[in-house]
Amino acid sequence: MTQENPTSFDQQLRQTVLEHLATCQPDGLEDLHVGVMNGIVHLAGQAQTVENRQRAASLVEQIPGVRGVVNRIDAPGAPSPGRTIHLDIHASQENQGKT
Amino acid sequence: MPDVTKTDRFQSLCTQIRHFDQLPAEVVKNLAACAYLQRYVAGQVIYLEGEPAEAVYLLQRGWVKATRMSRSGREQAMLFLQAGEVFGDVAVFLQSPYPGTVTALEAVEVWVLPGDDFLKLVVRHASLALAVIRRLSERVLHYIRLVEDLSLRSVEQRLANTLLQHAEVQAGQLVVPRRHWATFDEMAVRLGTVRDVLSRALKTLETEGYLKVEKHSIVLLDPAGLQARGEV
Repeated sequence: MTQENPTSFDQQLRQTVLEHLATCQPDGLEDLHVGVMNGIVHLAGQAQTVENRQRAASLVEQIPGVRGVVNRIDAPGAPSPGRTIHLDIHASQENQGKT
Repeated sequence: MPDVTKTDRFQSLCTQIRHFDQLPAEVVKNLAACAYLQRYVAGQVIYLEGEPAEAVYLLQRGWVKATRMSRSGREQAMLFLQAGEVFGDVAVFLQSPYPGTVTALEAVEVWVLPGDDFLKLVVRHASLALAVIRRLSERVLHYIRLVEDLSLRSVEQRLANTLLQHAEVQAGQLVVPRRHWATFDEMAVRLGTVRDVLSRALKTLETEGYLKVEKHSIVLLDPAGLQARGEV
């Protein structure tokens, strides 16, 4: 039987995300929670506006190693997160740069 | 001075939790001493997958959903839990991050037991350790049945079994009530399929006369037939 242990990569990536958000200090966020599994970053908490919410996700997407972001930050008028997410955002960005 | 109301409320919940209902009063009192009550609104995240597991949760009121994102980026529901259930314990025992995200489906009250305190009490009280082992053993059995279900049964068979499991008698009829959050999407995720396939399976069982889909419930017209339909 295999035991699921988090990869050290996910733990390191979570630390990087926390540090990046602490450095950038995005506006209008409270009680921010961050989890990382399989390179996918999960965000939760409260944002004052949809723009604040989106800004947090955008900041996280810039971080190398982040495959995707599940944005569960609550904000007035914010959509529910989809059941599927766009992955490997950095590969997509590189491909867009080539075309 | 201990908070009598808090302790009473916690003790009352423990009598509803399988295997915790056998715990000596002293153990329950020790658990209550380190627990605190937290409230969440519908849609609010209780914890995220990949977050460090810092607490075990005992559900006092309401329903919650545990989901997990696959490596390919697809969300899968793992569990739907109601009052009297315990969650977050596996990650606390493994001292690993939470394996899934838990979200309140409606107004929810949970008792939060800090992981370190809970582990110390498990080490100190054999009765608590045994209760935990029994609960985990039951969960293993649940997953064995789930594997069997997914590998041997069609969506229609799984749907038939799930409906029978969740049915209750209302005004002389066997009815599966649909909670306001139990959309077709949620039901589909619970059965390990997608909305379109679930809709077709429900339509098939309705056409065959086993059930009738109503706005807020599903009426089981032929439970015996449905049971036979759910067998492999």
